[in-house]
Amino acid sequence: MINPFSAATDPATQPMALAGLRVLDLSGPMGNYCGKLFADMGADVILIEPPAGTRLRFEPPFLDDIAGPERSLAFAYHNTSKRGISLNLDCASGQELLRKLAATSDIMIETEKPGAMQRRGLGYEVLSKIKPGLVLASITAFGQSGPYAQYESEDLIGLALGGLLYLGGYPDAPPTRVYGNQAYLCASMYGAVAAMLALLDAESSGRGQHVDVSMQECVVLGLENAVQFYDLEGTVRKRYAGEQRFAGTGVFECKDGYIYLMAGGIGANKFWGCSVDWLRDEHMAGVERLRGNEWTQVDYLKSEEAKRIFAELFTPWAKTRTKAYLYHEGQRRHIPIAPINVPADLLENRQLNYRNHFVEVTHALRDRPMLMPGAPYKLSETPWRIQRPAPRLGEHNAEVYGEVGVSRAELERLFAAGAV
Amino acid sequence: MSKLPLAGVRVADFCWIGAGSNTTKILADLGADVIRIESSTRLDSLRMAAPYKDRKPGVNRSGYFADRNTSKRSVTINMKHRRALELIKKLIMQSDIVANNFTPDVMEKFGLGYSAVRAMKPDIIYLAMSMHGAQGPERGYLGYGAIMTSLTGLQHLTGLPGREPAGTGTNYPDHIPNPCHAAFALLAALRYRRRTGRGQYIDLAQLEPTVALLGPTILDFTVNGRNRERNGNRHDWAAPHGVYPCAGADRWIAIAAMTDAHWAALIEVLGSPAWAVVDRWMSVVARHRDSAELDRLLGLETARWSGEALMAALQARDVPAGVVQNAEDVIRRDPQLAHRGHWIMMNHAEMGEAIYNAPPFRFSRTPVQLRSPAPLLGEHTREICVELLGISDADVDELMAQEVLK
Repeated sequence: MINPFSAATDPATQPMALAGLRVLDLSGPMGNYCGKLFADMGADVILIEPPAGTRLRFEPPFLDDIAGPERSLAFAYHNTSKRGISLNLDCASGQELLRKLAATSDIMIETEKPGAMQRRGLGYEVLSKIKPGLVLASITAFGQSGPYAQYESEDLIGLALGGLLYLGGYPDAPPTRVYGNQAYLCASMYGAVAAMLALLDAESSGRGQHVDVSMQECVVLGLENAVQFYDLEGTVRKRYAGEQRFAGTGVFECKDGYIYLMAGGIGANKFWGCSVDWLRDEHMAGVERLRGNEWTQVDYLKSEEAKRIFAELFTPWAKTRTKAYLYHEGQRRHIPIAPINVPADLLENRQLNYRNHFVEVTHALRDRPMLMPGAPYKLSETPWRIQRPAPRLGEHNAEVYGEVGVSRAELERLFAAGAV
Repeated sequence: MSKLPLAGVRVADFCWIGAGSNTTKILADLGADVIRIESSTRLDSLRMAAPYKDRKPGVNRSGYFADRNTSKRSVTINMKHRRALELIKKLIMQSDIVANNFTPDVMEKFGLGYSAVRAMKPDIIYLAMSMHGAQGPERGYLGYGAIMTSLTGLQHLTGLPGREPAGTGTNYPDHIPNPCHAAFALLAALRYRRRTGRGQYIDLAQLEPTVALLGPTILDFTVNGRNRERNGNRHDWAAPHGVYPCAGADRWIAIAAMTDAHWAALIEVLGSPAWAVVDRWMSVVARHRDSAELDRLLGLETARWSGEALMAALQARDVPAGVVQNAEDVIRRDPQLAHRGHWIMMNHAEMGEAIYNAPPFRFSRTPVQLRSPAPLLGEHTREICVELLGISDADVDELMAQEVLK
């Protein structure tokens, strides 16, 4: 096929899908990635921080492991392509400034507890009178109303009440969370999708709306088939780390680390046959024990006997082979298998590097650019790109407030009064 | 009632199994006319994946499949038949989006690569979401979510130190990261097309959204040279932060004491045990340093409580705490999900009443609700051929007899 990503076109001059869209990002860790998704696709996203800085500025990892509001790498990553202003929403003049900004915006993203924005005179009813087309995306732990609406939450609590935590970890230890604030990120990702849906609707109808995203509910979408197992069979799915999920599916040790093998795939497929052929071709000792008809039955693959036999045969064989060998040879045979990589491995991943996945972004306190994950999707006409590094605290105050008619003298007065 | 945001958008949906079907579910539930192109000659393997209604396998009985395919229609076309392409072309002419999550080359073999489809319909938005993307040395490699979890480092980073990497226990990237990123890219492309009339090609390598979610961890390596290791439920700086036993079999509560005030309230709720009311644990730095010992002592206290009672007591004092809910809890006991109407029961033609996830967001003006249960295999073949593609009933009969519509 022809390559739609023509090398003759300079991506830096190509249009961006969300150009012309203005987004106010008032959010904390539950929503900053949502704002990033919009910003890296071309929207003018303005990060609005309290005068002391948003919470992510105080989260590790830090540049050179030294804490400081301009040194958080978590902040630097989740706020690329945004402009940044400071604003005190707890004073009347700050609230008035936000209403001015809202009048020029298409989307506002916020992660305050339900009711907090209303109490400041910044609820959806007020904002929609100022700008009827505005989409207000409220991303909260549990949603805008209900018995848990005012509950305190952190990432771990979202994973717990959303049910994903129960599925993670080893049977002989407490449930163990998925790494890396995934509950927050799930809320951010669904928040972005929901806000885009409401935006498309608003752009055709002229009417915005209030979007109510629940982190807990987002996490529930990640329970795979656990809910259906309970509904249809009355069985409660449990955590199984350290064991095979089915015979031939799970983590196995090899010569230089671990691999993940899914010899049976999911549902009806040809992978089990391919896997046994491979082990036979390489003369794995005892491979004939995997040949009986029972090995095509899911119920048998779930049995302790099948798992024990598979591990007895496969593990000694795999321990004489490297991650790289097992990955490439298994994949050559169309078997779902992968090495269990560590972060350093990703930077050397030939496929990611072929796609130029990692991108360089400058940092004001560093003499050379930082390397970070780049485009999560490639769009042929409107490529993803980072427009600027994450803002320093208040970096764009004069510029952004100037755009809504606040003079420099007025800005200085507001600064002195603590509004900015 | 306001019309749904994607009313009037049509998707020719070649997606199957996990991430692809979850992506088009988002579009379908929000109003798009998503037409699954399936075949009994090459089944979506998820149609034959447990759990089944009454534990009886059957192509229309999998709950795993059903939940990912709400609000869609299904047409069966045998893509290997020489007459399949003319039908597909008619469908594409009336579609806005063509989506697939095959490994590269499968669509080309059907004569449906991006350039061919663009020749049929110049403004088409074409989503391809293979594991590794359209080009590159590993483009033909395949996998499920758990394979991507392993490749990206998420598996390695999840679990207890000194034990084998645990991962999420699920095919996590299939369920949220890839569907959400794909849907977001599609919606952005749709907006661009509405403004310019131009379609485009979206190449989503399913590895990359999960890498994108690990940004701070990657930066910790590229900037600070640190290769992160798994660390259970331990937080980078706060303590106590973990999962603690409660009364009952396999019952647990998650507690995240982020501040000194949380800690003070936590030990008060627990009745100020002597081991906890000590100067040495007044600071978060000290609590974090001693978190292994703290976790052990805390677990002895929490084990006396029911999880729900302890959660309520802690939340009454503004301490972040939550019961570790299992599938039964989220369906049967959780009052918050019930309040939001998250669980939707629908009557499926073969499965009867079965449970479905609603989308995890609500709109103030447009009701968000599922429009129909998953389609039976080929349920809408005749309807789509006659009403959409302009084929006569008699010709449909003939195409069925020739096993094109199969």
